[in-house]
Amino acid sequence: MKKYIYITIATLTMVSALTVSCSDDFVDRPVEYSIDSENYFNSKSEYDKALIGAYDLLQSSFINVLMGEIASDNTLCGGNSPTDVPGYQQVDDMIHTPVNANLKQLWDWMFAGVQRANYILEFKDKTDFVGKNQVIAEARFLRAYYHFELVKWFGGIPMNGDKRFTPGDEKTIPRSSAEEVYASIEADLIFASENLSATPSQAGRATKGAALALLGKAYLYQDKFTLAATTFESLISNSPYSLVTDYDTIFEMAGENGPESVFEIQYTDVEGGDYGNLQYLEGNVAVGFNGPNSYVGPFFTSGNNFNLPTQKIVDAFEAGDNREAVAILDMTAWIAANPGTSYTKQNEDTGYFNRKYIPRIRSANAALDLKLTNPNNYRAIRYADVLLMAAEAFNRSGLDDTKARGYLNQVRRRAFGDTNHDVSASGAALTDFIWAERRVELVGEGHRFFDLVRTGKAAQEIDGFTAGKNELFPIPIEEIQFANGNWAQNPGY
Amino acid sequence: MKSNYLLIIFLLLSTFGFAQSYDIGGVVKETTSGLPIPGVNIQIKNAPKSTVTDFDGNFTLKGVSSGTTVVFSYVGYKNFEYKVTGTKTDLSISLQEDSKQLDEVVIIGYGSQKKREVTGAVSVVDTKTLEILKPVKIEQALQGTVSGVNVTTTSGSPGAGLDIRIRGIATNGDNRPLTIIDGYVGELGLLNPNDVESITVLKDAQAAIYGSTGANGVILITTKMGKKNAKAKISFNSYTGFQETSRKLSTLDATEYALLLNESYANGGKSLPFPVVSGLGKGTNWQNEIFSKSVPIISHDLSFTGGSEKVTYAVSGSHLDQEGIVGEAKSGFLRNTARISLGADISDKLKLKTNVIYTYFNRKTLPEGGNASVVMNAVNAPSTLSPYDANGDYTLFPLSGLGNEMINPLAQTANSYNDYNFKKLSGNFGLDYKLFKGFVVTSTIGFNTSNSESKSFAKILNYGGKVFDVTRSSVSQSAVNNNDYSFDIYGTYTKKFGDNHNLVATIGNTIFKEYGNGLFATGYDVPNNSWEFADISLTRGAPAAGIIPVGSYVFDERKLSYFGRVQYDFKGKYLLSAMLRRDSSTKFGPGNKVGYFPSFTAGWVISDEGFYGESKLVNFMKLRASYGTLGNDRIGNNGYISQLSGEATYVFDGALVNGVATGQIPNPDLKWEEAKKFDVGLDLKLFNNNVNIIADYFIDTRADLLILNIPTSGINGTGAPGASSPTVNGGTVRNSGFEFSVDYKNKFSENFSMSVGYNVTLLKNETLSTNGVPFISGGSFGISQLPPARMEVGLPIGYFYGYKTDGIFQNQAEVEAHPSQIALGAGAAPGDIRFVDINGDGVINVNDKTNIGDPIPAATMGFNLQFNYKALDFSMYTFASVGNDMVRNYESIYDDANHLDYVLDRWTGEGTSNSVPRVTTAATTNKVFSDYFVEDASFIRIQNIQLGYTLNSNIAEKIGMSKFRLYTGVNNLYTFTKYRGFDPGASNGAPIGGGIDDGFYPIPRTYMIGLNINF
Repeated sequence: MKKYIYITIATLTMVSALTVSCSDDFVDRPVEYSIDSENYFNSKSEYDKALIGAYDLLQSSFINVLMGEIASDNTLCGGNSPTDVPGYQQVDDMIHTPVNANLKQLWDWMFAGVQRANYILEFKDKTDFVGKNQVIAEARFLRAYYHFELVKWFGGIPMNGDKRFTPGDEKTIPRSSAEEVYASIEADLIFASENLSATPSQAGRATKGAALALLGKAYLYQDKFTLAATTFESLISNSPYSLVTDYDTIFEMAGENGPESVFEIQYTDVEGGDYGNLQYLEGNVAVGFNGPNSYVGPFFTSGNNFNLPTQKIVDAFEAGDNREAVAILDMTAWIAANPGTSYTKQNEDTGYFNRKYIPRIRSANAALDLKLTNPNNYRAIRYADVLLMAAEAFNRSGLDDTKARGYLNQVRRRAFGDTNHDVSASGAALTDFIWAERRVELVGEGHRFFDLVRTGKAAQEIDGFTAGKNELFPIPIEEIQFANGNWAQNPGY
Repeated sequence: MKSNYLLIIFLLLSTFGFAQSYDIGGVVKETTSGLPIPGVNIQIKNAPKSTVTDFDGNFTLKGVSSGTTVVFSYVGYKNFEYKVTGTKTDLSISLQEDSKQLDEVVIIGYGSQKKREVTGAVSVVDTKTLEILKPVKIEQALQGTVSGVNVTTTSGSPGAGLDIRIRGIATNGDNRPLTIIDGYVGELGLLNPNDVESITVLKDAQAAIYGSTGANGVILITTKMGKKNAKAKISFNSYTGFQETSRKLSTLDATEYALLLNESYANGGKSLPFPVVSGLGKGTNWQNEIFSKSVPIISHDLSFTGGSEKVTYAVSGSHLDQEGIVGEAKSGFLRNTARISLGADISDKLKLKTNVIYTYFNRKTLPEGGNASVVMNAVNAPSTLSPYDANGDYTLFPLSGLGNEMINPLAQTANSYNDYNFKKLSGNFGLDYKLFKGFVVTSTIGFNTSNSESKSFAKILNYGGKVFDVTRSSVSQSAVNNNDYSFDIYGTYTKKFGDNHNLVATIGNTIFKEYGNGLFATGYDVPNNSWEFADISLTRGAPAAGIIPVGSYVFDERKLSYFGRVQYDFKGKYLLSAMLRRDSSTKFGPGNKVGYFPSFTAGWVISDEGFYGESKLVNFMKLRASYGTLGNDRIGNNGYISQLSGEATYVFDGALVNGVATGQIPNPDLKWEEAKKFDVGLDLKLFNNNVNIIADYFIDTRADLLILNIPTSGINGTGAPGASSPTVNGGTVRNSGFEFSVDYKNKFSENFSMSVGYNVTLLKNETLSTNGVPFISGGSFGISQLPPARMEVGLPIGYFYGYKTDGIFQNQAEVEAHPSQIALGAGAAPGDIRFVDINGDGVINVNDKTNIGDPIPAATMGFNLQFNYKALDFSMYTFASVGNDMVRNYESIYDDANHLDYVLDRWTGEGTSNSVPRVTTAATTNKVFSDYFVEDASFIRIQNIQLGYTLNSNIAEKIGMSKFRLYTGVNNLYTFTKYRGFDPGASNGAPIGGGIDDGFYPIPRTYMIGLNINF
């Protein structure tokens, strides 16, 4: 009897085991608490959330500003030693090659921005809701912003319309020409300027003005002066923007998202972070990098000693220019005025720092690492920049030097606080004045290198710059290798 | 009992058959302990007559004819033969333990096999080795005792993890072997070493029965069980140890430091930081400040084992309390375990076996690794600074010259507050049912369920403007619950065909499911800024708007497997086995879930051929070979689908806003990683079985490597926060090598016996393909330098990629004669390192980087020695690693940091040094990653020496004990090495980027005194 009981138990155990486990259904299980990215965009709120993702990468463009300024003749690289961040050091000396971890970061981050914008645009027809054009317009503005950065740095890049790239595309999708990239940027920005609200629903969002300013800038970069002039004019004539009277206040916390701000990249210091994953940060990394090392003293705090202004740019300011003291921190003078102040001189110390974007003393609640969490917004497009671009467009198109002079002098009057420094030149001489003005007005803001390149002056101003080569940066070596022959390297690299 | 009567009757009857017969009787004891052994089989040679010893080891055998031989046998002991010459009823027979006996049974996964018939590369570490080595964690017992196995520490701090690599690093993913405890998946490091009966390591295709999980090798643990018909045995083991650091680095004293700094500043054209050097003296030796002496470690364990005719039991408990050599209780580890194991023969056909283990541990840690570790701060802190100021407070380190990360290591230790608690209940429940003759069905359920809690407190602190300043207190807590279960059911059919053909067939099915969840949260504004109040329940502060101070995860991963194995032998001489396993796993997407893993092994016992006659020289010789495919599925979950797990955080209206973004790029084609393992081996026993040799040659080729986050073009958005490259099957790595081990054992007399063992593993690692990617880089060196390690075709995985040096420039003429080094960041000057122009293009730049070493040892060796002389026993275990390189990355880059004393041999003028560059605060390229930073980390370590004294068993019995042994020993007595850092045997375990020394917490040297008592 016992025997049968055992056999029954054994059989039952086996049968139950086999029915439970014998089927491959066991390994078909749902993924718990997970949202499949391909099954999204079912409501306005879902579009809004994805849009935040597309904005996120703007914060990573700190590297464009930092490295762009280092590339120019405005600053030296610095750092704690000549081998501190070799990628920046090489760009500073114009000896960079396709092997450059920082150019690779810039490439990756800007393309990540494109990819996130295209995530929305790929699904733009999935769900309809009121206000959808605003969402799509913001996405297209962001794609244009990232594309513009990429075309500035690398020239033609691969594009995939409104679709995201998928692995393998790098081997099949060719680099579009720079013209094609600009065409895409223009189309995006025209759509954006027609659909974006003139006033942002929240500070930080793209506006109609921002789209027009960027569109004008894209025209200017292509020497399409007439189009640039009309675009800027339509912005200026209906402008909600104005120059802030006191130049100094623009770059302080209180001046953020002020009347001069056409487009501003937003940062905060409430979330901490570390060097391992700079793209996660909510702070402006460039600011910490720009700061004086081991600084002890009033008003500022310490940083990593990068992006050090040269004597050449300091000397470029005319006497009486209020902007010099705002743009350049002269440490010798500052220490003399504030006894007890000290900092550690490190690599390539010039005694000057990029005062617009170095760390300020922070609230007690600022999150760590303080060098990485600086809350200073990047004033990506200031109205002063718009005026100077408009001036250049009107002047170089030959449309209206008077108008050009007017815009230029608006900027100069603020700088000097008087009309005695007005420019009265015209023609090519006026062009030179406008360019000189751009240089000092926008120093430390990352525009100089690209202005020199687009105006053909880089070789004469930047030590080590090779004409016909250094106008563009090399496609990162890794990308060339991934593309497996699909993408040609930029000339000279 | 009925059968005993029958036996007696039978015996009585049989006596009539013999003319001259005698009665024998007596007691059978264990040689070493003198304990009586119940259940010993006593058999008359070449006759059916036999008996067994009773509970007290007594036996009688009547009617044995003169001249016959009586064989006493018992599993795990050497047979003893007694020749009957007359009636003798007070015999005292001693059986000698023989764990290495050829009939020893080896666990091979879903079954066991006689050792002589094993055809795979299998190594066993027995309980004796564990008893001597006294490992805090079991992994330590595998270092140097088993060929082909290398164990590296990730840190010397108590409770830190160890990495086991079986036959090298084969994948750039997870290289950990699978651990099976009594048949279920478990965790090696959590066991009480005294609960372990044996550790079996499956190194080759023999592990294929574990299919998809066996590619990294399999470690099988058998826990101790009671023995049938055994008297209750109570065993108590205890030791107390005193630990100290096994190493201190020689750094500069205050005077040397000041002089060096002056020279460095002067060379850099700066004013001297120490215009007056006299009177500085030796200053502070920071390592003496942080390393404690006589740091306690205490271990106790108590076990009860025994068994009746039908039931066996083992119950044990253990307690381990270890403080750290840095920070003492601040880096302490406490572990308690309890275990119950029960075996019962419910009927002749049904057997039950169950084993339940409870583990609790608590661990506290200090900041380790990287430039913020306590140990590294102690090495780099200037000896001119003192630990305490005039008020007795910790000194603040200046920002200037030391950067904003170097802080007073004593303050850092004092301000480290964290706690980690882990509780786990694991076990199994198994039934064996003999369905019919030769066919046994086994069904086992194994489970693990663990809960852990962690807490860390960020106290408001001021280090004087350093990055570790905390302006707002917070406490972060987590609770993690992880579970798994496995359910096995398999049948084993054993059949003998004719006299010579033996067959064992196994077929079965395993299901495995792991699931769990984790919850994390941070609370702000801890009351009183105090650890005593550091709990979220007491915090009332909210984080800034948009910060999400909580998080959680869930997972549910499953595997379904079928397997079969056929083992066949002819006369035990020609051995063959074949295995096939089919696995399906949730790690892979539809269409790729299923994998098949076949393998074959064969053996030939040459010594049974009679070629050698009854040679005394060759007692046993077996040639064996195996080939098979195993798999690996150790990758992140759900890699085949795209989830919204990216980070999307921006700032609108000055406040954080959170959205969604995609995470890892999916790879719908994910499939198994395949290991093709080939092994050919020879087992030899020579000179009366006194010499035992095992040699193996192996080739382990890992194809379709599951490369985690394989570099992918940035256009796919991999650079976004929370995004990452897909996991892709790509690349092939081959490990080939040779293992050799030899043991010599001899009992020279009743009083003196010895055993000596030596094993060596030679290993060659080569990357065969990286699937279209030119290389995969990893690791980090210095600050913002390019990754120093690579995986690249034709080279060992994780080799170091940097500049090759060619001495020091002695003068300006040499500088000018050499290609320009400016592309590295600064022009060279006399006293700087000269880099080699590898590609000969006349400039030194990134194209001149090359292979400058690798962290993989060319050879690892173990040498072990044991003596027994009368009541004394002595043992020594040593381990050596040859040819492994390590990168010196624990030196601060800051001008004012202290230095190791090798800088005293620096270049100070022409002809002064050709190996150590000048010191200067000026720009140089001497800190660029080059072979100047790659050191030979070969070493020999005396891991353990021990001297024991066992009280004479007669005396012990008088005081009520069956065994009393006192011993003293030292763990990690000494390490012979040229390596300058703390521990040449440490590694962070990364396949690419391992072997980079960020300042490892050194392993402790432990002086122990202990006792073993059996009742």
